Amino acid sequence: MSPPVPARTIALSLSVLVGCGSPDNRGEADDELIIAWPASREPASLDGHIEPYQTAWLIDYMIADPLLIIGPDGEFHPALATAWSSNEVADEWTFVLRSGVVFQDGTPFDAAAVRYNVERILDPATRSGEMAAHVGPVERVEVVDDTTVTLHYAAPWVTVLDAFRRVPIWSPAAAEQWGIEEFDRHLVGAGPFLLEEWVPNDHVTVRRWDGYGGWNSIAREAGPARVERVTIRFIGEEAVLGNVVRTGNAHIAMNLPTAYIDDYRDAEGFSLLTGYQAGTGLQMVMNVRRPPFSDLRVRRALLYGTDQQAINDLLYDGHFLVSDGPLNTVHRCYREGSADTYPHEPETARRLLEEAGYTDRDGDGIREAYGVPGVDDGTPLRVRWTILDREEMGEAIQAQWRPLGIDVAIEIVPGPVQLEMVNARDFDLIYERQRSPDPMLMDMLWNSAHDVVGGWAWTGFVDEELDGMVSRLREIPDQEMRCELAREAQRIIMENALMLPTLSEPIFYAVSDEVLGFELASEGQFYFVHNVELPRTH
Amino acid sequence: MLAHYLARRLTQLGVVLLLVSVAVFSIMHALPGDPVQLMLSGAESGSVTPERQEELREEMGLNDPLPVQYGRFLSGAATGDLGTSVRLRQPVLDLILDRLGSTLALSLGGILFAVVIGVTTGVLAALRQGSWIDGFSRLLAYAGVSMPLFWLGLLLILMFSFWLPWFPPAGSEGWRSLVLPSLSLGLVSAGVIARLTRASLREVLVEDYIRAAWAKGLPKRIVYLRHALRNALLPVLTMLGLQFGAMLAGAVVTETVFSRPGLGRLVVSAILWKDYPLVQGIVLFMAAMYVVVNLLVDLLAAWLDPRIRDGAPA
Repeated sequence: MSPPVPARTIALSLSVLVGCGSPDNRGEADDELIIAWPASREPASLDGHIEPYQTAWLIDYMIADPLLIIGPDGEFHPALATAWSSNEVADEWTFVLRSGVVFQDGTPFDAAAVRYNVERILDPATRSGEMAAHVGPVERVEVVDDTTVTLHYAAPWVTVLDAFRRVPIWSPAAAEQWGIEEFDRHLVGAGPFLLEEWVPNDHVTVRRWDGYGGWNSIAREAGPARVERVTIRFIGEEAVLGNVVRTGNAHIAMNLPTAYIDDYRDAEGFSLLTGYQAGTGLQMVMNVRRPPFSDLRVRRALLYGTDQQAINDLLYDGHFLVSDGPLNTVHRCYREGSADTYPHEPETARRLLEEAGYTDRDGDGIREAYGVPGVDDGTPLRVRWTILDREEMGEAIQAQWRPLGIDVAIEIVPGPVQLEMVNARDFDLIYERQRSPDPMLMDMLWNSAHDVVGGWAWTGFVDEELDGMVSRLREIPDQEMRCELAREAQRIIMENALMLPTLSEPIFYAVSDEVLGFELASEGQFYFVHNVELPRTH
Repeated sequence: MLAHYLARRLTQLGVVLLLVSVAVFSIMHALPGDPVQLMLSGAESGSVTPERQEELREEMGLNDPLPVQYGRFLSGAATGDLGTSVRLRQPVLDLILDRLGSTLALSLGGILFAVVIGVTTGVLAALRQGSWIDGFSRLLAYAGVSMPLFWLGLLLILMFSFWLPWFPPAGSEGWRSLVLPSLSLGLVSAGVIARLTRASLREVLVEDYIRAAWAKGLPKRIVYLRHALRNALLPVLTMLGLQFGAMLAGAVVTETVFSRPGLGRLVVSAILWKDYPLVQGIVLFMAAMYVVVNLLVDLLAAWLDPRIRDGAPA
């Protein structure tokens, strides 16, 4: 006879474990807001002076108010500065600071503190990449009085407001005490929450600061935040991220994977928020240095031959935004006419390819080059689609271009390989995405002066008019004039078909109805928790 | 005799670690990508000029010739200094020690599940050959070997976090967060251990000294546990040392699926960001840990079985 099965033991063990389970999966403090982030969004450092990623600044927003913010309406609003102005040429910027503000360590916030923060960012020892580039070539920071500070620039710097809405203002005393290497675990600012702990690869927790005076325009009350704690959990697995709100393990999931949208849309007890990110969208840059894209007709043929709306509907149920130019449709400098430049006209695409010398003579459905400069006769028209992920998008393009006689080879490569390919200028169509509500990114991406290793102008197109136009984006402070320049630059780029606009990926948030007061900023990756309440827990 | 054995193994350890250091350094530098450019590639608006990138590269010592960089890495490692992470800007050794506890807890939890499930099933299968428990142990072995770890992890999350909300699907707080990741790691090894225990115990049970024990009229419990199982578990012990390496490798996947902080996730992100010092440091550290654990297992086996330390066939 077989020995008795240890079934009773197993059942007993399970019942003990069940008994230990909590009905509330969050199982944390009562008044704790839990936000799940994809692990890939975890910054390397929480110090926004150093870390080049938005997510660090998003965490910093809870701990340190900046001088100003971009509100949900897309406009600049006061935070620690109450007013700002520049001289006519935009090389002197003055901020009037809020009085009576102290940092979380009790030290005063004043003009000297702002000077310290600017100098810290620009100090080579800080090794700040992105933030130092945003702050720009400050020659001198003048403390006019306790509540007035003037930045003197070496050259006109028109993006100061966009820069300083990102800069967390840290307590100089705390930053000095901990030094560059240690400070990101001991952040001290003048924001609504105190940094409690950061366990890398696991979570960040902040605790309400009772000394907060509601100094940020977004705060509805002149006092502390309402929620006791906020914890951001970094989730490594997409399937888990997609379910954590539904199963009660988190209140909010940021960057909800597209596959899980339907689980939350119109679902009782949840809402689905959608944030959009101004910038380029998921654009595919064309390498115009060599065939086939050295020929404008081929480049235009691709644009005429692509139906992005169909791809959006097929792959993403229409949830993404269709882009039709170098700046996506939610960018304030978007050019309206871009949508009409290349309507979906497969016949026009075929005609252009024929004119460019690409014909299918062997009848295999793929065109071959005949009489194309620099290409052996009979060479099939094959283009490489190089991207980091979203293979499905490449496959949809493959399906749309195949009837045109174009063979698409999809290359899914990791980031390092992509950069190596760019450095070697070894690509046909390659993914490039930048995010910013400021049109300055047009200069970085399309000015041929930045067509160097480490630069971001990859296409190889050189045009004096375009270069001059985007360069001026660095000099003109007037926002409307800058947008006009950017729109004109977009026209040139589209006329020359230098890139294939695809889609803009929104940022989806699954939010439990237990959460009140959660607000998205005008940029999808940013949100505010200043006014969040969890009424269920009271 | 044992001292001589120990000295020989320690020398081998040094050689292994040296070879590992050469291999990981070479591979990391042969891979495409520049750490500084990668660090900034996902930055939001591409504002960092190539000149500034070059300055950062210089400041981080990435422009030095490779032999100089390797020499710096090796001499540092010899004194316990594994360098500073390019991306995280913290000493590599501190980063490793910060996460070591979590990975060790996971690995030891995995070993615990593997031993409890594997040995129990293996013993029952050996004693009841051809029974359903024997079939189950075979099924367990096949499943453990063939089922991808990430898939097993997701199934456990689905069952025990989402359907039955008993354990958290992510995180590292409290013992409950350790159960599912340890179980998924342990199940992979449990099958192998079960089959090995079964085979080994079957062999031992027909040995003369077991017959002698029966002839003396010893109770079943004494014969099975004291005489048979004790000897049958020697190969299992060796296997556990090897499985510890599998646990460390499995931690890379398990920590990602269960969103646990640990060496596995740290090394994955370090590789993606081409953080040379961090990858080199972690690989060297893990290799050392693996070799040391196996050395300890061998020493334990040698201590338990004089035939091993005397060089006689076991």
